Amino acid sequence: MGTRILTVEDDERIRTSVRLALEDEGWTVEEAESGEDALNAFTREPADVVLIDIMLPGIDGFDVCRSIRQASDVPIVMVTARADTHDVVAGLEAGADDYLTKPFAPKELSARIRALLRRARSVDPGSPQMVFGDLEIIPEEGVVRVAGEEAHLTKTEFRLLVELASNPGRVLSREVLLERVWGYGYFGDGRLVDVHVRRLRTKIEPDAANPRHVVTVRGLGYKLQS
Amino acid sequence: MRRVWGQLGLRARIMSLYAAGGLLLSLIIALSTLTLARQNLLEDREDRAFPVAIRNAARVEGALSGETEIEDVQTIFDLLNVTQRSVPVVRLGSESTSGSPQVFNEELIPPSLRAQVDAGNAARMRARINSTHMILTGIPIPDVDADYYEAALTDDVEDALDALGIIVLGVAAATTLLSAALGSWASRRALTPLADVRIAAESLAAGELDTRLDPPADADLASLTASFNGMARSLEDRIERDARFASEVSHELRSPLMTLSASVEVLQNGRDQMPDRSQTALDLLTADIQRFNLLVEDLLEISRYDVGTASLQAEPIDLVEFVRQSIRQLPHENVAVDVGDLEHLVIVGDKRRLALAITNLVDNAAKYGTGLTTVTLSEQDGDALLAVEDEGVGVPGAERTVIFDRFSRGSAGGRRGQGTGSGLGLALVAEHLGLHGGTILVEDRKDGKSGARFVARVPIGEIPEFEGELG
Repeated sequence: MGTRILTVEDDERIRTSVRLALEDEGWTVEEAESGEDALNAFTREPADVVLIDIMLPGIDGFDVCRSIRQASDVPIVMVTARADTHDVVAGLEAGADDYLTKPFAPKELSARIRALLRRARSVDPGSPQMVFGDLEIIPEEGVVRVAGEEAHLTKTEFRLLVELASNPGRVLSREVLLERVWGYGYFGDGRLVDVHVRRLRTKIEPDAANPRHVVTVRGLGYKLQS
Repeated sequence: MRRVWGQLGLRARIMSLYAAGGLLLSLIIALSTLTLARQNLLEDREDRAFPVAIRNAARVEGALSGETEIEDVQTIFDLLNVTQRSVPVVRLGSESTSGSPQVFNEELIPPSLRAQVDAGNAARMRARINSTHMILTGIPIPDVDADYYEAALTDDVEDALDALGIIVLGVAAATTLLSAALGSWASRRALTPLADVRIAAESLAAGELDTRLDPPADADLASLTASFNGMARSLEDRIERDARFASEVSHELRSPLMTLSASVEVLQNGRDQMPDRSQTALDLLTADIQRFNLLVEDLLEISRYDVGTASLQAEPIDLVEFVRQSIRQLPHENVAVDVGDLEHLVIVGDKRRLALAITNLVDNAAKYGTGLTTVTLSEQDGDALLAVEDEGVGVPGAERTVIFDRFSRGSAGGRRGQGTGSGLGLALVAEHLGLHGGTILVEDRKDGKSGARFVARVPIGEIPEFEGELG
């Protein structure tokens, strides 16, 4: 039994063809044809990765994404109609880790999934504990504590934080973060970084509107400080 | 004449009509004024001259006797009531004498007057003698075989009439000019609403589909404005409907394309097990699904401009790095990038759109220009300038604008428009750059070699302090 991918898509032909292509890549695929279906399936047996089409009848993709995110930090990939719509930002805010636009090549999806799973697993063991004021990061255990209390980060948020923490006080550009956290090249979508930074702040900052730890450096990028 | 008239503009015609009317009217008034004035003045002078002449004739008759010599007549003149402006002449027997012979004497008497007087009648007439206007009165004095003539000079009246004539003609000329000016003003005023309509129509034609005319203050023009606005509205509706249709069709094509892309990938995974013929067919299918995909993407992209939902996702971009990266991700090897001594060239732009524009231009050059493609980035007059040169056949002058039209079809040069294979490539480049306030043009290579040179220009503008979009 390999890595299980739950694909949520209402169009049967797309669902079937994507399943065939993903199976060729070596994944185990479970299909859901509606939001309700997907939530039931996930509750029954959580998948390792979830692929959600935003345009779903009934419970829409954003809601499915939020519901799964409440219960799990599983990597979620959104499928949107267009890259330059607000759907992308809304999907990321609902908890998605990455997105693709339709029609995508299943090989590209596989590459994205591999990147998501790799970074979720690849924090070096034996990295020392890092402390930034009341912020405490233990990479080995995948644990972040704020004022002694554990913060629940998704794997992508955690990896983003560790990337910033590994370069304390240094400014990392959006391009660099895209490459190191998501595995994108120069033309990755900077909104991935922006939305994830915002999500991260709501979890580790006492006041997300006036961040103390993850600060924006105008025109350059982001940096972590104590 | 009719032809010339027809060629004149409405304004010129209205102006000419006003001028002609003004001229006619003022001439009529001038001529009648002059005629009436002359009539009145001369009649008045005649009416006054005649009784004076009769009285003077009576005095001459009284002074004359059988023995009077013609030389004595001069003394009689002294008795007469003559002014400087009248000249008495007396014929006595076969001789005559004049009060002022240079002005008037017996020989100058017109024969018709002479005949009347010889016939024994008193007579008067107007005459012009030696270019002097005068009223002549002739009275016979038959008892002593004499005649009395008197010339009352009227050249003062003529002078006054001449002066009056000049004034009246001057006024007529001024009136004519004034009428022309009035005509010009009136026609301009009448045509002002038309000028508004012209401006609005031009703006519509330029693509400002929400152009409307303001409701006019003049009720006469309300129907014109209403029809124009109605036309503009239906035009706008129709164009938007067409644009939305293209957008919706492209959108609907995404689902089947998704199935096709995924299915063809599955087939490609099993390509090695297929017979040769099937492999060839599969490759054709794969290539065309890819092309179909690009076409739908480009159609969607361009229909966003038509529907008006294209918006700039602007962020600061260092073009030096950006151009290098854009070209690095392309499969072409024969592309040289020259940034001169620029280290950074930062503009505010939409990464995705600019990358599409750059890759389209380079793709296009690689496809149609055999040999090396040169990409040059420079800064000029506050603009960022990207020149893409190739070693192909170039683009003929006549096709240099057409090439940026959608689905343009032309000669080898003109077919460049199908840069991405969709026929929309260069049209999209123009739209993307336009959204940045920039332009694209094609010209001959600067170094005189065969080949095309595409020049994209984007204003650098002000770089705002940038804060991450949501950061």
